[in-house]
Parts: sequence; C-alpha cells; structure tokens
Amino acid sequence: MSVALVCLGISHKTAPLPVRERLALSEERQTALLQRVGAGRAEALLVSTCNRVELYRTGAAGDLESELRTEVLALGGEEALAHAYLHRGEAALHHLFRVAASLDSMVVGEPQILGQLKDAFQLAQRVGAARGELARVCGAAFAAAKRVRTETEVGRAATSMASAAVQLASKIFGGLGGKTVLLVGAGEMSELAGRHLLSAGAGRLLVTNRTEERAVELARALGGEAVPFPSLERALQPADVVVCTTASPTPILTRELVAGTLRARRHRPLFLVDLAVPRDVEPEVNTLDNVYAYDIDDIQKVVAENAALRADAAARAEALVAEDVARFLRERAVREGVPVLAQLRARAEAIRKAELERALANLPTPLTEGQAQVVAAMTSAIVNKVLHQPTVKLRTVAPGAEAHPLADAVAELFGLDPSARPTGSGES
Amino acid sequence: MSRIAFVLAFHAYALGAIAYLALLSSGREGLVWTARVLTGAGWVLHGLGLAVLLSPQGFRPHGVAQSLSVIAFLLVGLLLAVELRTHAPVLGAFVAPAAVAVWLPALWAGPADQALAGPARAPILVFHIAVALAGLAVFAVATGVAVAFLLLERQVKGKRFGVLFERLPSLELLDGLNQRLVIGGFVALTLTLVTGLWIAARSDTARSLQAVEITTAVAWLVFAALLQARLLAGWRGRRVAWLTMAGFGLLVLSFVGTYGPGGVR
Repeated sequence: MSVALVCLGISHKTAPLPVRERLALSEERQTALLQRVGAGRAEALLVSTCNRVELYRTGAAGDLESELRTEVLALGGEEALAHAYLHRGEAALHHLFRVAASLDSMVVGEPQILGQLKDAFQLAQRVGAARGELARVCGAAFAAAKRVRTETEVGRAATSMASAAVQLASKIFGGLGGKTVLLVGAGEMSELAGRHLLSAGAGRLLVTNRTEERAVELARALGGEAVPFPSLERALQPADVVVCTTASPTPILTRELVAGTLRARRHRPLFLVDLAVPRDVEPEVNTLDNVYAYDIDDIQKVVAENAALRADAAARAEALVAEDVARFLRERAVREGVPVLAQLRARAEAIRKAELERALANLPTPLTEGQAQVVAAMTSAIVNKVLHQPTVKLRTVAPGAEAHPLADAVAELFGLDPSARPTGSGES
Repeated sequence: MSRIAFVLAFHAYALGAIAYLALLSSGREGLVWTARVLTGAGWVLHGLGLAVLLSPQGFRPHGVAQSLSVIAFLLVGLLLAVELRTHAPVLGAFVAPAAVAVWLPALWAGPADQALAGPARAPILVFHIAVALAGLAVFAVATGVAVAFLLLERQVKGKRFGVLFERLPSLELLDGLNQRLVIGGFVALTLTLVTGLWIAARSDTARSLQAVEITTAVAWLVFAALLQARLLAGWRGRRVAWLTMAGFGLLVLSFVGTYGPGGVR
C-alpha cells in the first residue's frame, strides 16, 4: 500500500499573483472547503499563503484527484487549474515536507511558512478534516522542518538585496524596530525595498523623489510620508536607513552633504543602501564616522555569500528531508503490517476456538477440566508456532521500503481487510 | 581553604574562557551554557574564597595579589550580569580571558599575610579601595566592549563579513553598553578620587601629589570629556571606543603605580 496522499496546488513558481489572489479564501470559505473535501473517511489540509494555495487530501475512498480538480476549478477557474501542479503518493509527501522546511519558499529558509502550515493544520483539525493519517503526516513534516532549521544554516541566509540590506541593518542597529527609513527614488525597486524594510519592522517611512507626485503616490501606498526633493538634506536628519534608487547620472548624496547632517543627527549611525547604477551615493561618504554606505556591488556580495551559504545548507536540508520522508514511510509501513497481523491472529484464534469446541463436543466421554486445559494449551501452541514466522515478518520492514512488502500479500492470501479494525481476541 | 577554592575557581574561569572563545569561533549554541556554568561556578567558588580570606582583614584586600583577585572577581561578576542582560554571550570571549590574565599573576604571587594596622582597616579606606577596584573592573569590561565594537565596525565599514560579523551583537548594542559602563565606571572613579583626597587631607603627614594620583586624575578628565562629548554633543562609535581604551590604559598605569614595584602601597 503506497501513501494515499494527493496534493493539488499553485505557488509562486507556477502562477502569477492575480491567479494566486483568486484562490485566496477567507477563513469561513476555507472551513467550508475543508469540511467538504475532508468528509467521510477522507482527510484534508488547505495551505493558503500569499505565495501558495495547496490542497492536500488523503483517504482510501473516492477519486481524490478528480474531486480536488473540481474544487480548484470552482474556486479559480480554468486558468487556476492550468497553473496547478499535482503530486501523488510519496511525491506529495515529499513536497509537503519541503514546503514545511521552507525549501520551496520564494525566499528559501524564510521562517514564516512553518507557522502558516501549523495554522493550516490547526484549522483542519478544528473542523475535523485532519484526524489520523494526516495528523501523523503533518507531525512528521513539522519535525523534519525543525530538524532542518536546527541542523542546517538554511534559515540564516538572506536572499534578496532587500533582505541583505535588512541583514546588514540588523548588524548596525540590532533591528529595524522604530527606525526611520528614507527612500530616495520612487520606482519599483524603491517600493520593493520599502515594503521589505517595513515588514522587517521599520517604524517610519519617508519617500522623496524628483517627481513629487510619484513620491506622494508611493508614500500613500506604503503608509509613509512624502518629502519634497529639495528638502533631502533635512530628511536625512531623522533617517536611520536610506535606500537610493534614482536614475541620477551624478551622486545625490555627496560626502559634504552627508557630513553636514552629522551634527544635527547627533552622530547617530546612518546606513546608506545605494541600489542605483550609476551610484547615488559618493563612495567617500563611507569614510565618515558612524556612516555605513553600501553600493549595489557590496549588497550583491552579501547576497552572493548568502546564496553560497544557502546552496550548501539547502543541499543538506534536502538530504535531511529525504531522510525524514523515508523514515516516516518506514514507520508507516510497520503500522500497515500491524492491522493485517492482528486480523490474521484473530482469524487463527477464532478457528482454534471453534475447532476446539467442536472436538470437545464430539468426544464420547467429556474431559476433565484439567485435560481440557491441556488440549486447549496444545492448540494455542500450534497456532502460535505456525504464526511465529508471519508475525516476525509483518513486524519488520526493510530500510528504504516505502510500503510493507507482505501486508497486501498476506491480506490477499487469507482474505483479510487491512482497513477494517480487527475483531476477536486481536493481536497478542 | 581559600587557596583550594581559588585554584578550582581559576581553572573554572580558564575553561569558561576557552568555552567563550570556542563560542565566538564556532557559534555552537551548546557552548553558551557550558561557558556560563563554568564561569558561574568559578565565580561562586572565587567569592567564597575571598570571603574566607578577606573577612579577618575587614574586607580590605592587601597587596597586589589580593587586589588583582578582587578585580578578577568583579570582572567576572560584571561579565555574567552584562551577558545575561544583553543576551550576547559572545562578549564573554572579550572579558573572560582578561579576567584569567588578571588573576594569573596573583595566584603565582601567593597569599599576602601581613597584619594590618588599625588605620588601614578604617571604613573610608576600605570603601576607597573597594570603589577603586570596582571602577577598574567596570572600565575593563567597557574596554572589552569597545574592542568588540572596533573589530565589528572595521568589518562593517570594510565590507568584510568574517566570524566577528556573524557572531557579535549589533554596533548600536555595543555602543549603548559602552555608554552605560563608562557612566558606571566614571561614578566609581569620581568616588575613588574624592575619598582619596579626603583620606590624604586627614593624613598626618603632608606630601605632594604623586604620579599615581596625577595619572588617575588625567584618566578622570579623559572620561569626563568623553561623557560630556557623548551626552552633550552626541559623540558615539569609534571615537568613543578609542577614548574608553585610552582612559582605561591610564587607569592601568595608575594601578601599576599603586601596586607595582616601588608602588605607594
């Protein structure tokens, strides 16, 4: 028996934002969907984040795939289905483990996904859609993610330029909490950097741009304040982090200009991130005390170092995930053997009892209680000896096995139903 | 008994210092508790040893060995307090080895067992010595923090991301910690000077100012200027770190003048 798990989903890797937005559901709709998909003997899990929407389903009954396709079609239409991916069995299990370990995230190693996955699981549990098998799968996936986080460096790596800037800022300030960010330039890169710095905890955002309307527009979009471009020097005074992204052919922040603000700033550290080409910040600015100027090459150096660190860590993390998936399957395979064994023993015990009763009833002279006990013990011993080897085999799974190699065969041979609960005296 | 406690404490400090240095180089989280437990156990033993040794002397350390021992004790106590408060155990790599280095010559020097005369046990003198040694310990930790700041600042400025960049806390945390320590040390140093002058004024024998007192006064001026620049003009960072180290250097000279060969005590 292979794992009866199916995953149908879309993610940042397969679908653009408008398609993902269409599948973003409120908690009420998520609950309704889980109750529908996870009804009966099936179990369901819905992972819904800004970067992915994935529906997992497990259970022996029904057509898992076609039911999931119908749900996704209803939610996001043909386009959503066209961007969807489908994983079955072990591949679905492996995918879930990778998602939990943040190996499938846009920023590999980002920590939020595990929390989001736990929330999704809790919701599925609350509505009764995750019970036995899915709870075990999720538990193993969470444990694997924790192992990846503690045993590899994958969680420490920043990947994009904006997160590299946040990483550097945390080395200067200890964190961006309550810090003021000044965006010089109002283009796409500025917006991305602004969003990232705000999500990293920056307290106040100022935006300045030669075209003031764009500064006002971006400030409004990010919840910041627009500052007139001629007041740039004054805007530098409250700023802790300055991100420059203009298309200016000459430096905007000269050594002289920045040095002129230091006294008014009371020498507070100033972190200048220059993502513009040609540069907006004169290189000599970095020689000023308490001023740390990084241009795009410096930032890319950090990104490259992080990427090297991440590649190495991610490779080790992938190996850990594969190891944990194999362990989970092995344990599951052992669990698969147990109900078959229980049924086999119950069947043998029932036969033994029936035959013993018939034999005793057919005797011309009834046996004494002691004699009956001796005969009963002998039949039990015969049954136990016959079943000894099958018991050992059904309790053992070879390393690397994905399913119990004998469970299906034994069930077929003796006419057992492994999904049914054993009756009678059960497993000894 | 105190000798056994001191030897055990010294070994615990030395192993703790090694654990702190290993933490700095490897970043292994498990070493944090190893370093803390070793250093903390050493500190408790050291404190017991000092209590047994100093109580018959009215808690006035006598001679260079005992003074160094007290400084090492205060240094380690301060280190444990600072690193627990700031959650920056890696700072131990800058202070714990210093405590070991300070105490090592004291252990070799052996116990000072001269009987003390009545005036030497006067409360004001005991306070003067205690506050002087405490000030020295506080400035030693501030100097360790200043060194950590300068090393990290060099990497951040130079865009070289080595082990220190990875392990040390932020520049702002180190700078703020330096400020708090310098303020604490300055208060202790001021009290040392005031009580020293008071004791000198009450002394029967008239004498001129000695090099030790002048050096201490210069160190006080350096720290006073530093604090004024920091609090009024907003100085911080590299310049303040260098000034902290310079001021501490003067205090070490003053200590050597007091307890070294040909010293006044």
